[in-house]
This record gives sequence, C-alpha cells and structure tokens, in this order.
Amino acid sequence: MKKKLLCLLLIVVMLVGITTACGSKEATDGDATQETTDKGTADEETKGKETDSTDSSGETVNITFYSTQVGMDDKFEAIIDRFEEENPDIKVEYIAAGDNQLQKWMSLYASNEGPTVSLMDPINIWENKDRMLILDPEENPWMDNVFESAYASYIYDGHIYGIPISTQGYGLLYNQRVLDEAVGGKFDPDTIKCRDDLKELFDKIEASGVGATMITGVNWSIGMHYLALTYAGYRENRDVERQVVEESRAGTFDLANDQVFNDLMDTFDMLAEYNYNKADPLVGNIDIDAEAIATGKVGTWFMGDWSWVQLKEVANRDDEFGLIPIPVNNDPNDDRNHRIPASEPKGYCIDISQNTVEQQEAGKKFIEFICFNEYAQQIISDTMGATLPYKDVTVQSDSPLAAATSSYVNQGRTIDISNFILLPSDFWYENGASMEQYLAGAIDRDTLASQIGNYWKNQ
Amino acid sequence: MVKKRANIRLFILFVVPAMFIWITVVLIPFIYGLFITLTDWNGLSADFNFIGLKNYLSVFSDGSFIESLKKTFIYSFSSVIFSNILGLAIALALTGKIKGQNLFRMGFFTPNIIGGIILGYIWNFIFAFALTSFGKSIGWEVLEKSFLTDPNKAMLALIIVTTWQMSGYLMVIYIAGLINVPNDIIEASEIDGAGMWNKIRYVKIPMIRNSIAICVFLTITRTFMAFDINLSLTAGGPYKSTEMISYKIYQTAFSNMKFGLGQAQAVVLFVIVAIVSLLQVTVTRKGDDLA
Repeated sequence: MKKKLLCLLLIVVMLVGITTACGSKEATDGDATQETTDKGTADEETKGKETDSTDSSGETVNITFYSTQVGMDDKFEAIIDRFEEENPDIKVEYIAAGDNQLQKWMSLYASNEGPTVSLMDPINIWENKDRMLILDPEENPWMDNVFESAYASYIYDGHIYGIPISTQGYGLLYNQRVLDEAVGGKFDPDTIKCRDDLKELFDKIEASGVGATMITGVNWSIGMHYLALTYAGYRENRDVERQVVEESRAGTFDLANDQVFNDLMDTFDMLAEYNYNKADPLVGNIDIDAEAIATGKVGTWFMGDWSWVQLKEVANRDDEFGLIPIPVNNDPNDDRNHRIPASEPKGYCIDISQNTVEQQEAGKKFIEFICFNEYAQQIISDTMGATLPYKDVTVQSDSPLAAATSSYVNQGRTIDISNFILLPSDFWYENGASMEQYLAGAIDRDTLASQIGNYWKNQ
Repeated sequence: MVKKRANIRLFILFVVPAMFIWITVVLIPFIYGLFITLTDWNGLSADFNFIGLKNYLSVFSDGSFIESLKKTFIYSFSSVIFSNILGLAIALALTGKIKGQNLFRMGFFTPNIIGGIILGYIWNFIFAFALTSFGKSIGWEVLEKSFLTDPNKAMLALIIVTTWQMSGYLMVIYIAGLINVPNDIIEASEIDGAGMWNKIRYVKIPMIRNSIAICVFLTITRTFMAFDINLSLTAGGPYKSTEMISYKIYQTAFSNMKFGLGQAQAVVLFVIVAIVSLLQVTVTRKGDDLA
C-alpha cells in the first residue's frame, strides 16, 4: 500500500511539474504580447519574454546582448557592469556565441528568446532585417556621431538597421624592421605602386634571408577576404558589382574571362609563389602565423588589423607594423593599387520580433553607451585593436595596425567593400574550399572559376 | 471487471506520463521536422513558403550530398572493421593470462570517456604540430606535412582517431562476451588438441557472435552519425574532403541557412540509420534463435 502511495505521489508530482512548465509558458506568451513598433516591418507580433516584460512604472527592464565578437566576453561583461551602474533600471544579460554564431542565434530565436541587442555580421542583419528595428537618426540624435560612410553595410532600402562597432582594414600586413633590413633603409609602403613593385620587394626580403610573404590557408581569409573582392570593391561602382552578382546568380557571368577576377588571381598566384607556408599551405593557424611575422621569420602577411590581438602577445614593444595595399595589376596609376579594403564587419542591431518596445528602447540606450562611452570605447579599442568609426573619439588604440587603417581612412584611401552583403552567407565556406584547393595546387584557375560558377548556379 | 479497471488505472499511471514525454520530446519535434522539410525556411525568418518535395529532390540531385554520403560510407566501413578487430584483439589479450588486466582495461577504455570534441582537438594538435615536428627532426618526409592538410590522409586521421576511441568501448562488450564462454568447452577443445588460434576461430568467436553483432551495428550507427570528431579534428577540411553526412547537415542548416534542406538531409540520414538498427535487431534475434 505504502509503495502504491509513493508511486502515486511521484506520478502526481511529475505531472504537476510538466503541466506547470507548459502552462507558465502559455500564460507568459499570452500576457506579454506587446504593441508592435510602427517602425518595424515584421509581420510577427512583438512578444515579450517571461521575465523580461516590464511596464512604464520604472521597473527594471531586462534585456539580452548577444555577441559574436571572439575573445571579448570578459570585456563586454565589464562594459555591461558599468552600464548597469549608470542605468540601474536596465539589466543586461550577456550571451556569447559559440563556434557557430548563427547556430546559437537561431536557437535563441527558435525558443522565443531572441536577443534584444545582437552584434552580428551585416549579411546576417540584412538577411533577417524583418526582425530588426529600423534606427532613425532623427529620433536618435546620437547616431550622428557615427561616420556616415560607416553605415554603408547597414543601410537596406534606405533604412539603417545596424550601428557598426569598428572599422577594419586589411591587406599585406608588414613587419617594419624586417622590411627596413630588406630594402636597406626605411621602408615606405607608398613605394609599392603595382604588382612588379611588390615582386621586387618580395625578392629583396627573400635575399635578406627571411620569408617574403605568408597566406593563412583558411576559408574565411582566402574565401572571403580575398576572393570576395571579385564581387565587391574592385569594380567601377556598386551598381556594376550588383549586376555581376545578379548575372552570377543567373549563371550568365563569365568568371573565367573576367578581368577583375584574373587580376586578383594573378596577384594571388604571386603571393602563393612566395608563400612562407608553401610546403604545407593549408595548416592555417593564425597564432603560429602571427608568431612568424612578429619574430621576423617572414616580412609580410595577407591579413587584417584585427590580428593585433594575436600579434601583441608575441611582438616586442618597439616593433612597428603596417599595411600595404594589394596591387592587382602593373599600372602604377591605377587607384585601386593604392587603397586597402576596409569595412565595418560587425554591427549592433535591435530585435523587434521577440522584444517589447521598452526592451527595444533599453537596447538603444545600451548601444549608445557601448559605442560612445569613453570607458567602453577604451576597452573595445584596446582589446580589438580596432579603429572606431565614430566622430569625437578621444581614446587612443595601442595597435599600430589600427593606426595604419585610420591613416588610410583619413586619406580617403580605402576600397568600399560594403557590397559583401550581396554575397550569400555561405559564400566564404563553399568557395573558401575551392580557394584552398587552388592554393594547394589541386585545381587550376579554370576549374576554380567553374566551381565558383556552380556554386552560384545552386543559389 | 475490478481487475480490468485496476489494469486501466495502472496503465494510466505508468504509461501515460511516459507517453506524454515521448510524444512531446520525440514525436512532435519529429513531425515538426518533417513539416520543415516541405518548406524553404531559413531557420530564422518569420516567413517561409511551402515548396513540396523540392528539398528531397535537391538532396539527391546535389552532388556534394552524394559525395558526403560516399565519404561517410568509406569512413564508417573502415572504422567498423578496424575498431572491431582492435577491440576484439585487446579483449582476447586481456581475458588471457596477462598480469595487471584491470589496469590495461582501464587504459584502453579511457579514450572513450574523453568527449569527442576534446579528443578531436588533442589529435588535431598531434597531427598538425607534434607529428610534423617529430617528422622534421628525424627527416621522415611522410610525417613532415600535416595529415590534416591532405584529403586522403585527413580521412585516414579520422579513421585512426575513431578506431582509437571506439576500440576500448568495444573491448568491454567483447570481454563481457568472452568471460561468458563456458570453460568446459574451451577445455574440451584443448583436449581435442586445439591450439590458440583454433580455440579463437572455432570456439570463442562462434560463442560471442551476439557480442560481435552488437559491436558491429553499434559502430555502424555511431560512425554514420559521427559529428563531434569531424568538427573538431578536420572541420570538414581540407577543402570539404572530409565533410561527412552529419557535418554536412549541420553546415547546410546553420552556415548556409537552408534549414528546410538540412532537415531533409537529416531525414535521409534517419532512414539509413533506422534501416541499420532494424537489421541489427533482426540479426541479433536470429543469433538468439540459433543459440
């Protein structure tokens, strides 16, 4: 009898547990349905989350911040602590992305826990803009503090959907000391005006007994940062680039005979020929490559200013580094040979599909703080070693690479690669594999062009 | 009548909660998953369209999916053979008269309790840096280049690590089977003049055929669904040459944001694994009947 009673009790507890869990969710969804914001275009009703809903009586607003910036978790948490001190009515829960930034984001949305503020790539914001808040500069005067050009990757249909966290540039990163020794004096990156100049420099570096250049054989570097320049940045204007993407999708674009593609690949061939990692080009370890350039084993590296995070761990304090543009032909007067590709690769966006209007407002406050508060700026600038795309920035980054990017930006010598958003989100993964094959010598250029063509056909 | 009512009450008390959990955790998500395969949902968007069976057609017309399936077959076949041979060999050795058997058993079983992700990263380091440094120091060309940057060697690396990880687990099942082989049969075979090899070939192996069937089918299903080692050891590389079916599904759904297509690929994998599992049940039952 006792046993029966115990069983019965356990079953009742279990059933109550199950029904309570399900019941509370339904109640929350029902109660927290909020008025949708009139600025958004989402079809879904805006719903609040269980503990996040609040009213206008000054109660605490709970919001979430999803970050896809690697290696910044404790720094972002420090910024959040300071923000909460200054805004006691807002609580921010930090959510770090795992290895796959989209997977976790999708899981959060699937469980109706869409983050209030997300730090994402422009392509992700663009592909999901129906869920995002349109940020209106007239309603949010603080937005004027962002350089207008920095919004390029975040404007869709004439509306702004994201606030960039940084401006980052890339090209051929160089070790000043190694290049000074190679050229027998002070190396000036402006002396590299065309591909032959670069070849001459490589020969000099190799003659000095160190590796000339280095490619990290990973899909995101050669598949996105290099190959994607075929579609964005190196053509006459953005409309032509759009046309190229449309023709590629339609399967009518002749990539194998395209001038820009072939120019870029000719330079790539040269980089591959002088590659320090030539013996085993696909090892692809950014830490080991950073160590190689910092310790002077190699003179230049196809990479971007973000690699300061790795470099500063191994570089000597007085080492100098800079960026050389990637020349794509032998015309010293070609403007593209004197510019570096630069963009705002990640930006903050606000969800309207699963967050209340109060949460969206709190999200705006948080973005304003993280972008323009001096404490937050100092942390982001120091940790990421990045250039901040804001006016009136008072903090100084210790990164010589960020300084190099800033210098190019200030001289107007950047290549606009904001049309990267035209490329599907798996462009780097699928075509990065083809570029790796090409780098390893497993396929020739025609096969590469045909594989990329097949990729587009399947879109 | 009273007994019948009591039976119904017991059924409600014990079966309904379990059924409820099974329906909510397994059945509904499964049906929902099937529903997603009929849409072009990207996994995040608020909108999606019904596209009928287009995703299934894409699965079979997509050369890369078939390619992944082929690679999975190669990997699975090789891993099943090697891990079972090694597991059985270790089990035979450790049920003999070797001293310190428990220590050895623990040692061989340990790789199985290390998570696949961690295991993958450890071996990634070994293949990419430890072995290459060793190769360079002794001037052995085969080891100078990382196994993980060559398509064939990367697949070999996956098979080596899987064999290393799984053989310890299979060893435990084989040991359980071997210690249940009656001693009198072994002694009788010895009196008949059977040597070590004949004892294994004609006595021990036939007596543990159920263990063999379990181990073989277990390794087939496990290797078919291998994901963690694929992710952490090779990440599908170099240039997608080791992208096996589970990893391919993950990439399709979460990197390419083609959730409907990824789900359709997952359904195909489910069918394959279900067939293998049903085969296992049939074969082991047959084994029981024979015994």
